[in-house]
Amino acid sequence: MIVLQHLRYRYASAGSDWVLQGINLHIAAGEYVLICGPSGSGKSTLCRVFNGLIPHFYGGKLEGKVQIAGLDTCTLPISELFALVGFVTQHVEAQLFNSTVAEEIAFGLESLGLSPSEIDQRIEEVAALLELESLLPRNPRQLSGGEQQLVAIAAIIALRPRVIVLDEPYANLDARNIQRVRSILRQLNQNGTTIIICEHRLRHIVADASRIIVMHQGQIVSDGPPRVIVREDLTAFGIEPPPVVQVARDLALPFTPLQVQELIPAINGHQPPPSLLAAQTFAPPTPASQPLIQLDQVTYSIGPTPILRRVSLDIRAGECLALVGANGAGKTTLIKHFNGLYRPQSGRVIVVDRDTRKADVSQLARHVGLAFQNPDNQFFTTRVWNEIIVGAHMLHRYDERWIRELVRLFDLEPLLDRSPYRLSGGEKKRVAFAASLAAQASILVLDEPTAGQDWHFRQALAQQLHVLRQRGYAIIIVTHDLEFAARHATRWIVIADGEIVTTGQPWEVMANTTAMQRAKLEPTQWFQIAAACNWSEALK
Amino acid sequence: MMKRLDPRTKLALVIGYMIFITADPTEAWVLSSFGFIVLMIVATGKVKAYLQWLRIVATIALTWIIVTWWMFDLATAVIVGLRLTALLSAFFLFFQTTTPTELGNALVQSGLPYWFAFTLSASLQLVPVMSQTIQNIIAAQRSRGIPLEPGWAALRHYPALLVPLLVQSFRLADELAEAMEVRGFSRTKRTFRYQYRFHLTDWLAIVGEVLYIGIALSIRFNPLVGILVF
Repeated sequence: MIVLQHLRYRYASAGSDWVLQGINLHIAAGEYVLICGPSGSGKSTLCRVFNGLIPHFYGGKLEGKVQIAGLDTCTLPISELFALVGFVTQHVEAQLFNSTVAEEIAFGLESLGLSPSEIDQRIEEVAALLELESLLPRNPRQLSGGEQQLVAIAAIIALRPRVIVLDEPYANLDARNIQRVRSILRQLNQNGTTIIICEHRLRHIVADASRIIVMHQGQIVSDGPPRVIVREDLTAFGIEPPPVVQVARDLALPFTPLQVQELIPAINGHQPPPSLLAAQTFAPPTPASQPLIQLDQVTYSIGPTPILRRVSLDIRAGECLALVGANGAGKTTLIKHFNGLYRPQSGRVIVVDRDTRKADVSQLARHVGLAFQNPDNQFFTTRVWNEIIVGAHMLHRYDERWIRELVRLFDLEPLLDRSPYRLSGGEKKRVAFAASLAAQASILVLDEPTAGQDWHFRQALAQQLHVLRQRGYAIIIVTHDLEFAARHATRWIVIADGEIVTTGQPWEVMANTTAMQRAKLEPTQWFQIAAACNWSEALK
Repeated sequence: MMKRLDPRTKLALVIGYMIFITADPTEAWVLSSFGFIVLMIVATGKVKAYLQWLRIVATIALTWIIVTWWMFDLATAVIVGLRLTALLSAFFLFFQTTTPTELGNALVQSGLPYWFAFTLSASLQLVPVMSQTIQNIIAAQRSRGIPLEPGWAALRHYPALLVPLLVQSFRLADELAEAMEVRGFSRTKRTFRYQYRFHLTDWLAIVGEVLYIGIALSIRFNPLVGILVF
């Protein structure tokens, strides 16, 4: 179906390096291929080669041969390839440009020149397949992140492409929506559609894939069936093996499981392996201290819709708190109360003895550093150094020694003179984290810090958070990445429908099945293994 | 009824109304047309959204009233405020009953080039997206101590808003163009899910508005016609 021979590519910008270097690849019809590798390894670029976006849309220099179903993508325009290779890009919001979900799905079908009756029929079919019927008249921009992702996929599936390429489709989805998308992709694959998917976190997809391709520095460094590839040491390539594989390796099992159900029968009777114990002992309990943030019966609505309902909460120095919950549960609204961006409509929020209703956001920024998910929303200077210090200057809290310390902590020394716009996604995030602490805030709030980031970034961030906690900072992370939250947070706050459902140490919370189900969360794979084997030592 | 009209009819009606308002009709005719528009809004069930819209419009209208009062007199100021509110209400009704895609597709079927109509409809779609981006930028900057609270003081820090907004706009335009390409935007010979055709109601609505405007302006500029009509 797909043939790449001696493929090399570099972008049009002056002085750019070869992003893809000598790729040779054959993908047969009906394969389910997972492409993984660290940030900047060329995964997203490769995705854009499959449907002719490279070279037709991006320009640049392409060498070698690219054939899809026998057609040369260099000579055929994208308009002839789009129905053959469907592509769902990483930023789903940009893909939704119509007024209703039905129009969104219809757009590509209209491009194909189908009759109105066939367009209607395909919309009905795809809506039934993805259970989107009730969303058809709605504006796609007003849907939740998970629903938007499904609409973007529906718009591509409706074209009935022979190949579907998805670039990190799970980065911003909660567990329930990940399962939904996975099940649809499996179904399409069983019906003969070739699936190619880029993803950092193997555990979400490894059991579905028939083949894994590992990329590093623009080259394919490993390629084969999942059970073979996951046994290799992939950490050098920014990939963490799934927990089931780590446990099997620790216990020297003679086979490689890809799912918890495969592993359990083989390990009953074994003692918990060191990798599993390490997975839940990193974050020690927090010593009791004065609360830095106190929420008392906070309620907040947008129009008639209640977003937060009577939320009460204390956050103390030295703890790392994870706010977890499904898409749309109210997590981001809650953190916007911590620095006064939102004021409670009833109840109160006290931040370091200040009532947020009586303090400006800029005053509260001296105490609370908040880094949102998209760092591009804040960069406006031409040097990383300036970007870090600008807030501290504004608040008259500039201290060069402290800034230098932050630069060391977030490993920004080599980047200080570069333009923030030219950094990678992970580097931008690190600059934003440092900038949010530059005014010597004692509370750090991070919104989805690990979304779309590789294992190297996650490991470094874990270490940085550990250092900050030891210095007495209170850290709050909002995340869908429960593996990260379970390992590095001291406490979880589980939110569903704007209410706190439960709170406690991560593994205690995951043991509370009722709360997890209400919050539409799925326990981590580590927890599932320990619980299934009744490893009480690990579950303590 | 408004929802059943062809998007081109609705566009023609709102443009006609704009000409009517700027052609200096008498207050009675403006008031009666304004009343009709409000009735149509009630009939489409958008009263709540209209009241929220009016809150924003009131600020603009009040500014105009004060400026006109200062330059002319109170009576003129009230008339200007009334006309502005009526005109903006007509636009509210138009945008509540016509999606940008409907408008774009209808214009293509009227003979406009597809790229032009699509640019128009996509621009309208992007207004709320850009508004959300502005809010996100302001939230991110305020969170690190840059005071971008609404007010004159924010003007001193405008690069902190404008630079990220510009960068994000270019990025959004690129991503949007890519997303459109992968769904065949550049392909020729598209079809349309809805075929727009003028029905009797469309012709009745247009003829009705032409008559209304014709009579109103004739009375305004030639009182003899007014006497003949009544």
